[in-house]
Amino acid sequence: MPREGPKGDINKLAEKLLNQDIEKQIKEAFDTQLQKPVQVIYFGKEDDCEYCADTRQLVEEVVALTDKVELELHDIEKDTDLARKYNVERAPGLVIAGKDGAELIDFGVRFAGIPSGYEFSSLIQSLVLVSNRDSGLKETTRQVLKNLTEPVHMLVFTTPT
Amino acid sequence: MLAYQMAMENPLIQAEMIEAMEFPELSDQFGVSGVPQTTINQGAGTVIGAYPEDDLLEEIQAALQLA
Repeated sequence: MPREGPKGDINKLAEKLLNQDIEKQIKEAFDTQLQKPVQVIYFGKEDDCEYCADTRQLVEEVVALTDKVELELHDIEKDTDLARKYNVERAPGLVIAGKDGAELIDFGVRFAGIPSGYEFSSLIQSLVLVSNRDSGLKETTRQVLKNLTEPVHMLVFTTPT
Repeated sequence: MLAYQMAMENPLIQAEMIEAMEFPELSDQFGVSGVPQTTINQGAGTVIGAYPEDDLLEEIQAALQLA
């Protein structure tokens, strides 16, 4: 792809969000740390969504760095049954699920809003986490969590900076 | 990441990271002033800032007993 060209909208759309250094770092991390397949389920919407296009592009660029992570794209207003199934209420929304053959394993890992800045590393870490199918928590913590019988829904509010 | 790690252990646990500035109504609803803020079960429990594993676990247990 030519590095220089006329400045215009078409040129801008073709610009990548991740630079080569970052891509190289992520690829190295993926190559050494990803184990089992991961499915990213993206929910966007057409209107009134400032960050949907950028989020989609960002995730597309990330999943292109490995063959262990696949991406599927949905519209939260059109694919309402699927959005309800995954309890996704906001766009852009991401579900980071495990993939075992044709079967998806929902570990309850979600993003709402663009995972940029600080949250970008969370995106990469969440892919590794789900890929490894291991929480890495202390044994005592695992036991308590496994024994919970009521739903726990955590919202973790963050900002990009 | 801790909330995600916990979600891995039980299908009943869901962890959603929210970009607070993109969803100001939701942030206002749960009184988010500093980040990260972890809100459990619609505000039954709240943890602000970075926290060790045991603290979040305790807050989850407390939130469930209140519910």
